[in-house]
Amino acid sequence: MNANEFDVIIIGGGITGAGTQRDCAMRGLRTLLVERSDIATGATGRNHGLLHSGARYAVNDPESARECIEENMILRRIAAHCIDETDGLFITLPEDDLAYQARFVEACKRAGIAAEVIDPSEARRLEPSVNPELIGAVKVPDGSVDPFRLCAANMLDAKLHGGQVRLYTEVTGFIREGNTLKGIHTRHLQSGEEADFYAPVIVNACGIWGHHIAEMAGIKIGMYPAKGALLIFAHRVNNVVINRCRKPSNADILVPGDTVCVIGTTSTHIPFEECDNVAVTPDEVNLLITEGVKLAPSLSSTRILRAYAGVRPLVSADDDPTGRNISRGIVCLDHEVRDGLKGFVTITGGKLMTYRLMAEMATDLVCKKLGVDKACETAATPLPGSEESSYEAVAKKIWEAPSTAQKAMASRLGTRASRIRNNTPYDDALICECEEVSVGEINAAIEQMDVSTLTDLRRRTRIGMGTCQGEFCACRAASLLAKAHGCVEKERADLANFLNERWKGNYPISWGDTLREAEYTQWVYKHVLGL
Amino acid sequence: MKFDTVIIGGGLAGLVAGISLQRKGQSTAIVSTGQNALHFFSGSFESMQEAPPEMLSVFGDAGIRLHYQEGVRLMPLGSFRPSCLSLEDISLFSSPQFARKVLVVNFMGYHDFFSSFLAEGLEKQGMQCRIRLLNLPELEKLEQSPSEMRSVQIARTMDRIWEKVVQEVRVLLKDEDTVVLPQVFGLQDTSVPGRIKQGIPAQVVFCGTQPPSVPGIRTQMLLKRRYEVLGGTYLMGDEAVEAHVHEARVHSIRTRNLDSHYLEAGHFILATGGLFSKGLRSNPFSIFEPVFGLDVDYNPDRNAWYDKNFAADQPYMAYGVKTDATLHALSGGIPFENLFAIGSVLGQTHPELGQAGGLAVRSALEVVDQIMK
Repeated sequence: MNANEFDVIIIGGGITGAGTQRDCAMRGLRTLLVERSDIATGATGRNHGLLHSGARYAVNDPESARECIEENMILRRIAAHCIDETDGLFITLPEDDLAYQARFVEACKRAGIAAEVIDPSEARRLEPSVNPELIGAVKVPDGSVDPFRLCAANMLDAKLHGGQVRLYTEVTGFIREGNTLKGIHTRHLQSGEEADFYAPVIVNACGIWGHHIAEMAGIKIGMYPAKGALLIFAHRVNNVVINRCRKPSNADILVPGDTVCVIGTTSTHIPFEECDNVAVTPDEVNLLITEGVKLAPSLSSTRILRAYAGVRPLVSADDDPTGRNISRGIVCLDHEVRDGLKGFVTITGGKLMTYRLMAEMATDLVCKKLGVDKACETAATPLPGSEESSYEAVAKKIWEAPSTAQKAMASRLGTRASRIRNNTPYDDALICECEEVSVGEINAAIEQMDVSTLTDLRRRTRIGMGTCQGEFCACRAASLLAKAHGCVEKERADLANFLNERWKGNYPISWGDTLREAEYTQWVYKHVLGL
Repeated sequence: MKFDTVIIGGGLAGLVAGISLQRKGQSTAIVSTGQNALHFFSGSFESMQEAPPEMLSVFGDAGIRLHYQEGVRLMPLGSFRPSCLSLEDISLFSSPQFARKVLVVNFMGYHDFFSSFLAEGLEKQGMQCRIRLLNLPELEKLEQSPSEMRSVQIARTMDRIWEKVVQEVRVLLKDEDTVVLPQVFGLQDTSVPGRIKQGIPAQVVFCGTQPPSVPGIRTQMLLKRRYEVLGGTYLMGDEAVEAHVHEARVHSIRTRNLDSHYLEAGHFILATGGLFSKGLRSNPFSIFEPVFGLDVDYNPDRNAWYDKNFAADQPYMAYGVKTDATLHALSGGIPFENLFAIGSVLGQTHPELGQAGGLAVRSALEVVDQIMK
């Protein structure tokens, strides 16, 4: 085989593509993943980070609910370092119909979700931030998951199994012979370099952008871009996921994650042209705050850190204007059967929660086409970093008396934390003080995890995600990147882009402490540091 | 407690006003939360060139020497900005080509001085650059703690060991005509930057670091010391929480610490700073001034507060309290007889007074004139 020939090419570096590459690679296939941007830049990194129990879908979409709870239990085993086992509450407020609760619990039980009705006073004890006026509560096994970490771990494992990853590589066209796809034309968006790659099967795992990729192959998939807006609050107000016990609606889930919590979401149909640059509107911000405060009243006095939005890759059957009634189920298309085009598979729909199952379905289809008979092992094999069940256990194995910074690193890297160089105190110096990210961890990410920009570095280490939003760490990290890449001039532009990207999530909520922090950052970078 | 003038805010504007009024025989008090924009002062008074005589006296008596030369100054990320009136240890050059060969010196493990960005910026101007790191055992204690290698902590150590830095730099120096060092010298002892310049046989340029700004903190300390020597009452760690107003006059203010011991005065000066310093506050619906509820010049549409481009001039930075032409603050459109606003709380409502450090000094001296009339 030539270096540009593979068994399977996966297009898309979100969680579905990364999971599919891992599964294919673990079954012994030679894999290539191409992504036109960085990992987890689409819907993968733009959601709640909710480890669904499936309860939310139990009443209206029992199939999704069952998939969720099964994957929920699997991810706890294989992705321990990406998951926070918080549990969740479905609360009924005075304005809601308490009769819905019984239907909800019944549906959960049918789907295999452990849903336990608890007394409102017990709910208040479990989660002191919950709206004290609640009249009903159900406890379910929700949790939270770090999608960046999950995506990076899948991709890393694919690489450990021989997979190749090419980021910032755009597919510019398909190589086609008759009714068979043979490969892809690509262009590297930074270097401009063009290259062709060949494989007997190509998997389209591009989320909402899969619509265009399919079009490029002459195929129409009726996709339905549904934007969801979310807000991040600067404190972890709640330790238990809080949901509304009613028909799924806007802004009715509050998820704790790391040091913050996230309220969302909305659902608005948007045109395809807007998918690359979704902005949160003032109306969405107002709605998220108004509804969020009903879940946890203390949100009204909590600083909002960022506003962001993602686009769900729903596949539509009708013209429902909200997109909420379209199934969030998995869509795995064999285009040979559906459209008479050989060597092409689309995996879409679904959600972060079911990425592994989606990957398994896509990989089963790929293997069938290639005549490979090997069973899926991803449900039982831990991801790299998840070999221990808790980060405390990891930290204790590496350090005699771990500091908070070392514990933070263990929580991000899992067992891989032991490989971070800390030979000298210089490697322990903190670059990002909000998230406690050290020089050693940043250099390791730059060396091993395909980092081109500060934003890439943020997705892999959390720098700039804390309360200062990059104010202090951005230029420190920029110096390290400039050194690693040997180019200061490029890094100067990267630093400006990074700050602009952070600002994009700040300006829709620019009042109070967010505006204070912004004034400081903008003044310092412009007038004091001279960017 | 009764004073001739009570100043709310102990940053650059408040201190300049306080010192100047004390010099002119007034009894004054400054209410200061302890934090102010001097902590990220670049060392240059934006939009000022030559210093007015009163400013020279205020700063000179405090032991702060200033200079101005038309040209440019070097910024920490390697760019150049037009000169303004600056502290003596900020180098001003007639052109960006200020050297032939430059040695940029940093400390091992110090990430808040951007030597690679500096070198690239200087090379762009045609200067040759070499970066060298000093490994000083005296900094080891700081290195042990991952968040201690910051400007002020380093400056405290440097006050003790600056002579050693001079020796090490002399060893490193080859044929370079200029040495660039981080601005972490002379936190307590103001003579240190000058003595370093004498000790190194090349042009020495001190270039800024990530805040907190060592020259800024030094300036704050010296001005405060001078203010207190002149008999001023500096209420550190306190905050005005309520104003007692009768018709168009402020009678007294209540502070958090002094509570019912109201501060009474003939004149009041509001020098509480902008949004960052909390002189102005904001919520989703408005931008307001929290002590007196003064009129604020701003756009009521919150979506007009910002520009989507991070680097653009941001509209919100121009917002400030409204005053008449002589800086009497307005409430309900009516000027207070004895309340003035100075410094960043004015935003850009008086563009003729400049911005930042320039605005602080000019508006402070203008109000002192008003009060002394």
